[in-house]
Amino acid sequence: MAEIERHRFDVLVVGAGGAGLRAAIAAHDAGAKVGIVCKSLLGKAHTVMAEGGIAAAMANVWKEDNWQVHFRDTMRGGKMLNHWRMAQLHAQEAPDRVRELEEWGALFDRTPDGLISQRDFGGHRYARLAHVGDRTGLELIRTLQQRAVALGIEVFMECTITKLVKGDGRIAGAFGYWRESGRFIAFDAPSVVLATGGIGKSYKVTSNSWEYTGDGHALALEAGASLVNMEFVQFHPTGMVWPPSVKGILVTESVRGDGGVLRNSEGRRFMFDYIPEFFKAETADSEDEADRWYEDKTNNRRPPELLPRDEVARAINAEVKAGRGSPHGGVFLDIASRRSPEYVRRRLPSMYHQFKELADVDITAEPMEVGPTCHYVMGGVAVDPDTGESAVQGLYAAGEVAGGMHGANRLGGNSLSDLLVFGRRTGLNAAYAAARLRRRPEVGDDDIRAASEHALAPFGIEGGENPYAVQQDLQEVMHNLVGIIRTADEMEQALTDLAGLWERITRLSVEGHRQYNPGWHLALDLHNMLRVSECIARAALERTESRGGHTRDDYPATDDSWGRVNLHCRIDGDGVGITPEPLPQMPDELRELFN
Amino acid sequence: MTAAVADAPVAGAVPSFQVTLRLRRFNPENDTEPRWEEHTVTMHGTDRVLDALHKIKWEIDGSLTFRRSCAHGICGSDAMRINGRNRLACKTLLKDLPLDKPVTVEPIKGLAVLKDLVVDMDPFFEAYKSIMPFLITSGNEPSRERRQSPEDRARYDDTTKCIMCAACTSSCPVYWSDGQYFGPQAIVGAHRFIFDSRDEGAEQRLEILNDRDGVWRCRTTFNCTDACPRGIEVTKAIQEVKRALLFRRV
Repeated sequence: MAEIERHRFDVLVVGAGGAGLRAAIAAHDAGAKVGIVCKSLLGKAHTVMAEGGIAAAMANVWKEDNWQVHFRDTMRGGKMLNHWRMAQLHAQEAPDRVRELEEWGALFDRTPDGLISQRDFGGHRYARLAHVGDRTGLELIRTLQQRAVALGIEVFMECTITKLVKGDGRIAGAFGYWRESGRFIAFDAPSVVLATGGIGKSYKVTSNSWEYTGDGHALALEAGASLVNMEFVQFHPTGMVWPPSVKGILVTESVRGDGGVLRNSEGRRFMFDYIPEFFKAETADSEDEADRWYEDKTNNRRPPELLPRDEVARAINAEVKAGRGSPHGGVFLDIASRRSPEYVRRRLPSMYHQFKELADVDITAEPMEVGPTCHYVMGGVAVDPDTGESAVQGLYAAGEVAGGMHGANRLGGNSLSDLLVFGRRTGLNAAYAAARLRRRPEVGDDDIRAASEHALAPFGIEGGENPYAVQQDLQEVMHNLVGIIRTADEMEQALTDLAGLWERITRLSVEGHRQYNPGWHLALDLHNMLRVSECIARAALERTESRGGHTRDDYPATDDSWGRVNLHCRIDGDGVGITPEPLPQMPDELRELFN
Repeated sequence: MTAAVADAPVAGAVPSFQVTLRLRRFNPENDTEPRWEEHTVTMHGTDRVLDALHKIKWEIDGSLTFRRSCAHGICGSDAMRINGRNRLACKTLLKDLPLDKPVTVEPIKGLAVLKDLVVDMDPFFEAYKSIMPFLITSGNEPSRERRQSPEDRARYDDTTKCIMCAACTSSCPVYWSDGQYFGPQAIVGAHRFIFDSRDEGAEQRLEILNDRDGVWRCRTTFNCTDACPRGIEVTKAIQEVKRALLFRRV
């Protein structure tokens, strides 16, 4: 076999979004030799699209805010299925992570006193999101990218990992290919950090970018780790529904945080009809109270438009189903009648341009049409909360690819803070573990040969399946049968259909050669997308209740006995097996916060 | 060539059109020179150039290669030369282009073409790195955030909007003829720090841009400002950097 390009690192980070970059910076600062591998160009990762802000109890705007309140909001938003320890660390450390970004030069909107300003978001008791207009993700990724440049961290751009390699029962490194040349590359690294983001490209209507093919989820699963909470997929309540070419593109929650309201075709603010018992005590029950809350949070309760995302998405779905939707199958999101054009353009410039340019709608003058779009997967690699290490020694995960932190539903703004808090923790611990290791396993020639053969398989088949057609069929299956509202019959059908797709991907064929061949890249990504889709469908079928981002039409109630278990997915033979495991026990001093 | 499809549109339906795309293609494994290739596809009036490229890739030729990621103008992956002008394919609506003749789509200029619409971005990233695109400060790390007034913050807001798509740099005639020139994006990147009230590295950055391949090569053609999909006043930013250099000497 021909020699392939090889590199040695202490810590290899897969993915260059917020979590990957923060992990790489932490590992570098801990003295490790670090490499970052990313599928796209540096700075293009999905983090760049985050709009609203970074949730952190800095108390710059509301002095009543503190980590305990943030922790409580996060757990309640996640319907108590979160790993309490992750939610605790997240709430405690997020403010320092924001200040550190500021120290590294990030731009933030400021209060009149020059402090970092914070805005309101769904599920957060106080205005808590540090932000810059509605381009917070862009500034976050740029700041981390700049930091990585300043530290001289090595980046392998447009390079995709297809296999994690083990030796001596632990991680030894990883194997992948350069997108440009199609040539293979192997990395020897005793610590590998997965920071590959999510899975949204398995769904037809999604706010996610093309990178979101569940690579890290599948790599970890196949290396022997377990995935937790995979049945919980977040459908963001407000995606664009019109025109068709941009269906699914995100409309930031900041529109509602800054005063926008949802109305049905009759002009009614319907969210008042959908306040669940669980949130009644803290949600306004009249429009007057809701409107007063923006100015006076002490004496008024939150508007129902700012309930957690799962609640709002289900309500929109129900309104459309009841025939009270907008002309293109969504509902109306109205900020035009509630805030001045200057305010809207200053606070939400990207939204203003997005609607003006793509939908020919002036959001300062008319309402937007919005509906749910697949946005985020709560499920991911089960990790130790303090270190980010998975069940596979040397394999770490941070950010969206990791599971546990957000339970059954993620609050807006908690993703960017998650990336920073756990990116840093994971990077540090990956570096420490590599330094402690006495003997490093090597990536073996046999492993490289097997991984190469797997990667080249689609070139050996002529006249087979078109990978683009298979991807479209997969997206239909997941959208129609394992989407926002689920039933047993449909999910069983989905599993049958997925088995058919598994069979079809063994017959994929690719035109042309290895140099920058997008058809080939997709053929390899499809394997990961199918793995993840199967996990979602199996876990969703198993959980016979409705909770957070998992809604069963045949089991509409939340069931307390299901509130005590997380479902774990592991490889079982050729497929995926599901095991219920008890929820980690929260210590009493934290439990008291919920009384 | 524009022809409304015969079927009467149902309520809320989007009218569709036949659109011909004239693509500049290059496959290093078979071609010695780039070549033109035309495809005609049926598209909706609300579709973008990116949608037409996807349709060709998914249904006609799976080897068509271009970069794209977020698909709504935030990540800056799909800058292309569309009808001779640098734009993002995901933000260019077909209905805004003259469809009575083919829409030409070429890779951005001044950077080596790797395949089809994909260019080598390494020189672009090198130029970006060379202006030290990170905050430079001295003294102890602050225990809380540094204060910055809304006015000081507004001073450099415009240049923080950059998405590094290279539309400006690859629209610059000076950059086309001399790849040593830093190009507009790198100067925008420097501006973002030079005018940040927290930064203490302005002197070093200005010295780099005072170089013979630096800011003085700019001929103020405004191509970069026209090309920027974020509406950044690129030429103005470059002028501000020039002025900072002049004042420093006064």
